[in-house]
Amino acid sequence: MSAPSIPNLLSLRGASRGARGRGRGRGGHHSAAATAHDATVQGTDTDAAMSRMSAVDVGYLNDPYAKYFVSNSSGPVTRRLPIINRGTYTRTTALDILVDQFLSESDGHPTAEKQIVSLGAGTDTRCLRLLSQSLPRAITYHEVDFPVISDSKFSTVSKQAALRTILQLWCHGLDLRELAHAGDTSKLNGIKTDLPTLLISECCLCYLQTAEAEGVIKYFADRIPDLGIVLYEPVKPDDPFGRMMISNLAARGVRMPTLDAYKEPQDQETRLRDAGFAQVKVMTVDRIWDTWVPEKEKERVDCLEGLDEVEEWKLLAGHYVVAWAWRGAGFERWAA
Amino acid sequence: MSDLDKAIAQLRACRPIPEAQVRELCHKARELLIEEGNVVTVTAPVTICGDIHGQFHDLMELFRVGGDVPDTNYLFMGDFVDRGFYSLESFLLLLCLKVRYPDRMTLIRGNHESRQITTVYGFYDECLRKYGSANVWRYCCDVFDYLALGAIVLGASNTLAPASDSSPTAAQEYIDEDTEIEVCNSDGAIISRFPRQRNQQAGSASALAQQQQQRHKSPNGNAGSSSPASTSSSVGASSAATAATSHNGSATGKTGPPGSGASGSSGGSVGNPAGAVLCVHGGLSPLIDTVDKIRLLDRKQEVPHEGAMCDLLWSDPDEIDGWGLSPRGAGFLFGADIVKHFNHRNDLSLIARAHQLVMEGFKEMFDASIVTVWSAPNYCYRCGNVAALLELSEDGSGLGAFARSNGDVNRSDGGVPEKNSVLMEGPARRYRVFQAAPQDSRGMPAKKPVADYFL
Repeated sequence: MSAPSIPNLLSLRGASRGARGRGRGRGGHHSAAATAHDATVQGTDTDAAMSRMSAVDVGYLNDPYAKYFVSNSSGPVTRRLPIINRGTYTRTTALDILVDQFLSESDGHPTAEKQIVSLGAGTDTRCLRLLSQSLPRAITYHEVDFPVISDSKFSTVSKQAALRTILQLWCHGLDLRELAHAGDTSKLNGIKTDLPTLLISECCLCYLQTAEAEGVIKYFADRIPDLGIVLYEPVKPDDPFGRMMISNLAARGVRMPTLDAYKEPQDQETRLRDAGFAQVKVMTVDRIWDTWVPEKEKERVDCLEGLDEVEEWKLLAGHYVVAWAWRGAGFERWAA
Repeated sequence: MSDLDKAIAQLRACRPIPEAQVRELCHKARELLIEEGNVVTVTAPVTICGDIHGQFHDLMELFRVGGDVPDTNYLFMGDFVDRGFYSLESFLLLLCLKVRYPDRMTLIRGNHESRQITTVYGFYDECLRKYGSANVWRYCCDVFDYLALGAIVLGASNTLAPASDSSPTAAQEYIDEDTEIEVCNSDGAIISRFPRQRNQQAGSASALAQQQQQRHKSPNGNAGSSSPASTSSSVGASSAATAATSHNGSATGKTGPPGSGASGSSGGSVGNPAGAVLCVHGGLSPLIDTVDKIRLLDRKQEVPHEGAMCDLLWSDPDEIDGWGLSPRGAGFLFGADIVKHFNHRNDLSLIARAHQLVMEGFKEMFDASIVTVWSAPNYCYRCGNVAALLELSEDGSGLGAFARSNGDVNRSDGGVPEKNSVLMEGPARRYRVFQAAPQDSRGMPAKKPVADYFL
């Protein structure tokens, strides 16, 4: 893909900005505190980008695109501790596996187009990694994030020759909460409702109010019959580790409202069933490390730094889950 | 005030001392440590502490809760550095106290007292940040190489001294109640107490039944609970029975110093009714079947990637039979049978070790034959755990110092047959559980510690 395709991007930005400007008639939502929280949530993306860079630098992940999204202004990339690197590795690998299974599913239509919608994608490089591969099927990849974030991503991508060539990407600059209140109106241009579609929320919906998070999922569930979703979120806010996590994140200004509603892994399962997904699976990140990463790969990863944080790893990784759920066609490999 | 006392005062205020002074301190410390054996002998009373990990303010809280040096005799089981933000101040203060009060302060080596590990987990970076060069890190690492690998505590009492000195009636109460385990909070208030369960029906019940009964007495680290938990009791039962049958035959014949495995002395050995306590950072090694074998190691080196020295600093107890591979990539996992065999063979009643985060601060396992003590509250400013220290009282009976040590630990009960007491009765243990120092006590850092999460 060449530069001329770029104008397709961000096609909705003007409209969504307008919507923001008019407000949403819900008193107090645009308070200074809410705005500050938005900024903090946006900051979590920088955190994730740094963690990704650290994991790539040490050799956990192979991601040629990570470096483009770490700004030099924030100083040299601090190497994260092994426990964080392993977490970054495991969550990325878990989502890669689920996405690959979704895309490589070949029952019936090995070349039929599929669609991915990444919520709060931030500087995530998955789209670039995917779109640079030569896959047998066409993929439409949408990313939705705050305008300020998708602006910055768009600008990074269009400045780098290495990235410009792989653009088939829709960057939607949109406050996700607008989807929750969209009603029948269409907020996202280019979303095809007749394709098997995978919705990804990697630590994103948890920053919304519970009703808004539900509304976002409903927005897609109301429109797309063949729909799957992958959530990556923290759980267990009530044990000593969880309480400290809430308190530490609060000290950084980060709140996760949905964590109160979906405290335990099984609450995530119920949530997704209630949202209309027939099949639901949930696994903690430490279990995923134990069972999804092949022994040989574990050895390779362990040899990179050595991890002397076994108990802490179980604690930390046990407080995050990947939940995935689906209905309709296109997810046959998930069922296997 | 001597230079050393000045350095102590400065470090207590969490201010690093100049590089030249660090060099001198490390030199002195090395001269002192080189004289120590691989396994240091410590006499009760002693307060045993687990990992500190550079959490300086929590170390101050530990001293507040456990008593100051030199009033309290301390034994730190390693991992002074890495992870926390004040590894330098924490380690140098402990080292100063060691040099100032050598007989009141025992430091043994943890797996983080290593060049390789400290470059990954923070101590190296911290030295570089605070001094602008790696010199201080090098001086400290040279000291690490001389730290002892373990300690043997002798003379620990079967009964507890009162939690505070102020109440003589309390002392009487303790003796009457014959408390085996007491858990206190940071203010010294008793959270829970577990009496020693004597074998009242000796002779009428089988050895196994008595062991079963004993098995349920341990709180298993369940601090704050008013009733003894009995986790893993059924798991331990079969291995205990195995240990019982396989070691009855070898229970006699050793009367040398506890932990030495020596034999042939005619009952006049130094020991104590409670048996000796081995302190080591990680745990046991398949290459080490007697404490004497630890004494034979050449310890003055960087922690190797494998071998006995590595295992002592890296291994963990686990609910398995025998030995297993460690998920840490160094050391081994070892089961109840291994611990009981080792303790029996070496006339130990207890192994105290650190190395593993336990949310309740301490955790007794395998019928109280091994305990994990963890002294870094809210580890890494993230884990939400409490910390603990373990106090062993001095045996004041006058019997302890020269008691026989060949396994007849219940002789004060009047003739429980020896084969019924395969496992030595442990010393009375007081755990003081404490939380992280309050944020305002820190004064600094200007920048609040930020714990990482997956965001």
